[in-house]
Amino acid sequence: MNGHVTSWIAAYHDGELGGRRLRQVEDHLAECEACRAELEQLQCLSTLLRESPAAKGLLSPERFAAQVGLRLPRRPTKPTWQRTLEASWRLAPAGLIGAWAFVQAVFIVTGVVLIALQVCGIDVLGLQQPVSHETWLTAILNLFQARLGDTTLTILKAISTLGWGLTFYLTATIAIILLYWSWLASLWARRRHQQLQTS
Amino acid sequence: MVYRMCGDASLAEDAAQEAFIRAWKHLPNYQPRSPFRNWVYRIANNAALDVLRRRRETVDVDEIPIASSSAGPEALLEKEERAARVRQAVLELPEASRAVLVLREYEGLSYKEIADVLGIPIGTVMSRLNYARNQLRKSLAPCLEDL
Repeated sequence: MNGHVTSWIAAYHDGELGGRRLRQVEDHLAECEACRAELEQLQCLSTLLRESPAAKGLLSPERFAAQVGLRLPRRPTKPTWQRTLEASWRLAPAGLIGAWAFVQAVFIVTGVVLIALQVCGIDVLGLQQPVSHETWLTAILNLFQARLGDTTLTILKAISTLGWGLTFYLTATIAIILLYWSWLASLWARRRHQQLQTS
Repeated sequence: MVYRMCGDASLAEDAAQEAFIRAWKHLPNYQPRSPFRNWVYRIANNAALDVLRRRRETVDVDEIPIASSSAGPEALLEKEERAARVRQAVLELPEASRAVLVLREYEGLSYKEIADVLGIPIGTVMSRLNYARNQLRKSLAPCLEDL
């Protein structure tokens, strides 16, 4: 076989080769005495290194553990309010998911109840009077017309069009998403701070 | 591992204690992106290097006495002398190559694991390992001939 595999013998010896390269080296070793001698040298060196015994006179594991225990820094006890704040921060995602589930449940249950009532022909709280939305909007506009800006008017008209239920749902969902993002951002900032401290 | 890096029992104990304490302190910062074992090896390697550096400021590492041979049968004496020579040869390697050699030969880590522990590319692991082995083959030539 042409060409020695010297550069791969160490990797072969360490069990790092696989596939085609492994077969190539094995085939070459079967034919090449020089490379076999090189491999044997590496094996002898490994044997020699591993035969070298570990240190004498080291501490027993129990004494070592006791000494490490003595040197370990004591954890400073945090005040109760700080621990409560920490626990609240850790539980924040669970709280937000709970709030989101609550909003969803309220929205779905309300929708189902309203549809059921409408199907039964029951008019609860004047729900079948869409003019009611216009009524409060008109009242507000009459009251503040001189001072209301364009943005406020747009928001009020949007609320009037969507209805209070949907507006509440959308507002709550957006608020929950924003809070969750804020929590993630604070988590990232905290980890970054810890990494900087470590390095 | 720290003993093989330091070549001295008392230095190794200092380094091992230091490593455990650092691991304890920085445990909350451990990122499970790499295996816990590799993380601990990295800390142990750094602790060993720090202990050696501190010691070097006061004592020449080459002057650290290697375990003395005790009286006994000739074969045992010869074995102990050979072990002492091996420890000395390993200790004479540059720290970077020594760390790779110790992790491979004594701890049995793969090239990939060594690269992860030391934060170096696999190619560098291979070249440092080759360098270390070539150096040891030269310095331990008489011992290798006896095998």
